[in-house]
Amino acid sequence: MADKKSQKKELSQKQKFRKDRKAAQMKKKLSLSVPVPEGLKKAWERENRAIAIRKKIRESKLAALPKKRQNQADRIKRYEQEYVQIKTDRQTNIINARKDGNFFKDTDPKIAIVIRIRGINRVSPKVRKVLQLFRLLQIHNAVFIKLNKATINMLKLIQPYIAYGYPSVGCIRSLIYKRGFAKIRSRPGAISRIPIMSSELIEKNLGRSNIETVEDMVHEIATVGPNFTKTVNFLWPFKLNCPKGGYRGRKRRHFLEGGTYGNWEHHINNLVQRML
Amino acid sequence: VQNREGPHGIRAGHQVAAKSWGTGRAVSRVPRVKGGGTHRAGQGAYANMCRGGRMFAPTKVWRRWHRKINTNQKRYAVCSAVAASAVPALVMARGHRIQAVDEIPLVIEQDFSSVKKTRAALNTLQAFHLSPELRRCKRRYKRAGRGKSRNRRWKHRLGPLIIYAKNDGIAQSVRNIRGVDFCNVYSLNLLKLAPGGHVGRLIIWTEDAFKALNDVYGNNSRNATLKKNYRPPRSIMTNSDLNRIINSQEIQSAINPKRSRKVFEKKRNPLKHPDLYAKLNPLFDQQWQELKKDYKDNAIPSTTRVLKPLKKKQRVMIQLSKEEKEQMKPYWKNVFGDDKIFK
Repeated sequence: MADKKSQKKELSQKQKFRKDRKAAQMKKKLSLSVPVPEGLKKAWERENRAIAIRKKIRESKLAALPKKRQNQADRIKRYEQEYVQIKTDRQTNIINARKDGNFFKDTDPKIAIVIRIRGINRVSPKVRKVLQLFRLLQIHNAVFIKLNKATINMLKLIQPYIAYGYPSVGCIRSLIYKRGFAKIRSRPGAISRIPIMSSELIEKNLGRSNIETVEDMVHEIATVGPNFTKTVNFLWPFKLNCPKGGYRGRKRRHFLEGGTYGNWEHHINNLVQRML
Repeated sequence: VQNREGPHGIRAGHQVAAKSWGTGRAVSRVPRVKGGGTHRAGQGAYANMCRGGRMFAPTKVWRRWHRKINTNQKRYAVCSAVAASAVPALVMARGHRIQAVDEIPLVIEQDFSSVKKTRAALNTLQAFHLSPELRRCKRRYKRAGRGKSRNRRWKHRLGPLIIYAKNDGIAQSVRNIRGVDFCNVYSLNLLKLAPGGHVGRLIIWTEDAFKALNDVYGNNSRNATLKKNYRPPRSIMTNSDLNRIINSQEIQSAINPKRSRKVFEKKRNPLKHPDLYAKLNPLFDQQWQELKKDYKDNAIPSTTRVLKPLKKKQRVMIQLSKEEKEQMKPYWKNVFGDDKIFK
């Protein structure tokens, strides 16, 4: 950089004179020949007042931020302990049952991740409708679904079109961090798909349900909480990639037949990681 | 313009007696001229493709030439054209060079209508800074297209329209200046006020003509004296200076403050950039502040790599004592029984 500057030619006296004259002319033009009009003055005053208010709000927000972040960090720590606790509980239950010569049946999974693996052509109306209701409008779209009798029966209807299973916490987390987009209504009638790049976005929309960070969302989804529907609906359906390494065997067969559609149970985590 | 055109039609091509020879003569079935002794005999006739035949769909005199338009609509149009001529933006948009003109509408003293010499008229127009306008209209040029050979060879730009109340010589003095038109205020011509249907012609009024407009068309408050029961159309806005209205105190004090534009951050993968992950995850943020010091500036690894050692601490390993393992043996016996394969 320094070399370039020294190479710059020195302006001749004539050029310098011209440059200075032009600058003087420009300066003259900028000064008003007429006193500042009332309307303009009032507009400036209004603008300044608005700026001052906005500044105040911003500063108060910044001042409250460290405490808020600390609260969030504490909560996340609790969540991590909770996830570990769930695992250990399950293990201890199994061992206790085995000690008595019993079997331990864990609670049925409450949440599934559903991935649409077939395209949009030649879909029968009932299947089309159910896929619409699940917001699976495109191939490789994925959503989280609460599992209850109603939804399980719906999944039965669309079995050949989906691969679904029970996601782990890590799977949910990586989905939201890497492919997480939010459904934001910026104006009446305008719904946008906005990437989740800050907690502010989540807080603005899900703050009422006490969900402020991505980890809050993950917790709400993994342990199907009271605000599960809101959280999952806030998320735009995940648009996943094609699976790296390909589908299993023949795509158009059930998972149990060596194909891809149907219930993968916990093996779905593998598929999702490859499609992320 | 069709309302003005005289009727016209074509009769050519039927001034022979021609009849088709029919089939069987090794010629086409087109009607042919009768008789003999001349080239013309036996030639095709009548049909549009024949030499000397009539055109396809010959134009007829009984074409509907005139259009009936409601008087009120005609007057509305003239009012609109006159109103548009008072808006400098529209006049400029129509193409007139009015940058130097003092005021629009341009109204000149009454003496102007008794100017007798073209030179005098020209001098007056130049005194009102209309030279650029006249220069624009000075040239005539050849029309583009076939109209050249159809008696519409030359075109020129239209300049100012001079409207007078009484012609004491102005019309004669001005009629030879190319581009300049003239018109009597008591019989305004829409074809001159808005040539080609485009409003905003530059109009030069004489004093009396301008004053006479109130009589010819009336006012917001009173009818036209020279027309029966006619009042000009009402304007949509009484104050059409939008800029002034929007920036007025009354409106500005009632509207919400300007909102800052929402700019959403571009999507980057937090699983690759620990800084972004830290922004989203306050717990990791605390850990990352310390871990950052271990890494140099250029070699920050992906988040997943950073998280690996942290995650290892979370593994769930349940330690079983020897007694507990003994206790579980019957369970496995239940499951596998006497199968020797699994032993």
